[in-house]
Amino acid sequence: MATAPKEINQPAPEVLLRVENVTKIYDGTVKAVDDVSLTVNKGEIFALLGGSGCGKSTLLRMMAGFETPTKGKIHLAGQDITNLPPYQRPINMMFQSYALFPHLSVWENIAFGLKRDGMPKGQIAERVEKMLNLAQLGKFAQRKPHQLSGGQQQRVALVRSLAKRPQLLLLDEPLGALDKKLRETTQLELVNIIEEVGVTCVLVTHDQEEAMTMASRIAVMSEGYFLQVGEPDTVYEMPNSRKVADFIGNVNIFDGVIEEDEADHVTVRCPECVHYVGHGVSGHTGMEVGVALRPEKIMLSDKKPKGEYNWCQGEVIEIVYFGAHTTYHLKLDSGKVIKAQELNNTRDLSCGLTWGDRAYAHWNDLAMVVLAQ
Amino acid sequence: MSQATNNKIFSNLWMVVVYLFLYLPILTLVVYSFNDSKLISTWTHASLRWYEALIKDDDLISAVLLSLKIAGISALMSVFFGTFTAFALNRYKRFKGRTLLSSMASMPLVMPDVIVGLSLLLMIISVQHWLGFPDKGLFTILLGHALLGTAYATVVVTSRLREMDGRLDEAAMDLGCKPWQVFHLVTFPLLLPALVSAFLLTFTLSFDDVVLSSFLSGPGYSTMPMVIFSRARLGLNPTINAVATVTIVVVTCAVIASSFYTSHQARKRKREEAQAYSDSNK
Ligand SMILES: Nc1ncnc2c1ncn2[C@@H]1O[C@H](COP(=O)(O)OP(=O)(O)OP(=O)(O)O)[C@@H](O)[C@H]1O
Ligand SMILES: [Mg+2]
Repeated sequence: MATAPKEINQPAPEVLLRVENVTKIYDGTVKAVDDVSLTVNKGEIFALLGGSGCGKSTLLRMMAGFETPTKGKIHLAGQDITNLPPYQRPINMMFQSYALFPHLSVWENIAFGLKRDGMPKGQIAERVEKMLNLAQLGKFAQRKPHQLSGGQQQRVALVRSLAKRPQLLLLDEPLGALDKKLRETTQLELVNIIEEVGVTCVLVTHDQEEAMTMASRIAVMSEGYFLQVGEPDTVYEMPNSRKVADFIGNVNIFDGVIEEDEADHVTVRCPECVHYVGHGVSGHTGMEVGVALRPEKIMLSDKKPKGEYNWCQGEVIEIVYFGAHTTYHLKLDSGKVIKAQELNNTRDLSCGLTWGDRAYAHWNDLAMVVLAQ
Repeated sequence: MSQATNNKIFSNLWMVVVYLFLYLPILTLVVYSFNDSKLISTWTHASLRWYEALIKDDDLISAVLLSLKIAGISALMSVFFGTFTAFALNRYKRFKGRTLLSSMASMPLVMPDVIVGLSLLLMIISVQHWLGFPDKGLFTILLGHALLGTAYATVVVTSRLREMDGRLDEAAMDLGCKPWQVFHLVTFPLLLPALVSAFLLTFTLSFDDVVLSSFLSGPGYSTMPMVIFSRARLGLNPTINAVATVTIVVVTCAVIASSFYTSHQARKRKREEAQAYSDSNK
């Protein structure tokens, strides 16, 4: 999908956007973006992911030119655009509320930016036609925005921002206004359109699934700075901190102390169990760490697992059925509650556990990530 | 008889009473404008006598024309200044004296006209004393009406600006509009309906104002309401009925036309939205 298969000897990617140590302080007190640096490569879909108020929109609006950074520089294709007004940047944005001009038809909305550039009439008509086809909106050209459904408006907004062939496309919560079912189909539609045009793209979202499906790289933001930047699978499988592990998907975190620190494995003693991690980590014996374990990597059974590592025992206190999978909440003897997710691959509930049963949870030695405190 | 029917009869009766209260005086006026008698309260027989008198009544005609002229110009001024004030208050969130401006802008709405008129009069007299102008007359009336009208226009335009998506300006700029193009291509067309209603509102306000005009007018500048008012004190002349009837007819037609237009637009929009919905579900 969005992540291209990795090839050996890939040419060095061409950097399109470079954000250098950008800080934005509102009203002298609110630090919305705090010393952020990032590069976006040509052809990439880059996602800014984070909770409400973490400064995603502010960062995006500085790229678009609606806000000027308090400190720092923004370069596009080698040119310093930090102080360029929005109408002089080869960047277009798609707004969360779409911001379609209500007094203009779909056709005129798409042509709006082209007319400002003084493009000849014939060329405008041709380009608009192309955009309408791209968004499958041909028969709605003469409608006004209020005569369109939410999904159609969203597509108009997208192709309006693509019409000028910007070097960089900015998307602020592009699917925020759609309902859940529509979002899923639209995500892929959106990626297809973006890839067909081949535009570089920065996307803001607070929905981690959306970031994972659409982006080739993700930056996880919190309180104005980046916690981690990486490809979706890296961020998911190898979060670099508790916050990232917590924010991306569900996670169980065990607090413990490194007991054995070898080059090929470590063991971490926690009150609930002992973790045997099948690879080395950067740490030392006696260091306090957190062990992050995703619910889908935990297996449940009613028989005691072999060995002394990587299992624990508890009581099933909650079963949440999701259709494709079921999440069990297991209360361990220490009082800690962990979540385990089992696939429902047969029609009877997978491991025959019910409320109040005692069960064993176990996992393999490469399932977890050791996080420094 | 059941309780429900009782209620219904009562509420219908009540409605008739209210309507009579509101419209009987106007109806009387209209009917008596076709009365042949010189006495305002005695009906003799129908005639167009007072309409003929009206056409020949140069004073009244010129007062009407003056009122129209004042209302037109002052409404334009009100909309112009009101729009600027509304923009300042809505688009520029932080500037020195913002709170002061926002409360002062609506002050004339609550201040009694008599006080506004009196204070304007005092100001004009002292300015005239020091500078030798302005003389009381057309200019001073316009000034007063524009002052009051600006307050109303500000309210109307502000409410429209509030509900307008501020992102539209940004979208326009993003697509390559320079700031003045944003106004010309996006803000103004969207604001136009509000500007029209602000114009109509301030026009009407000015057209029937008698208090401010009385304070601010000078010799030779009597507006229609002032003429009617002063003649009424000398004993009513049925010509007044005629001019009032003409005004009522014009106003009623305008109101009916505009409400037809708005409800037609609303219906059209609803239909189109419904159609969009059914199309998208196909
Ligand atoms: N114009 C502004 N003036 C003052 N403070 C602002 C302004 N815009 C944003 N902020 C503050 O900056 C911080 C970051 O805001 P921002 O809109 O970038 O968050 P966000 O990550 O987009 O959140 P959300 O997901 O809710 O949209 C917030 O604390 C917000 O209150
Ligand atoms: Mg935001």
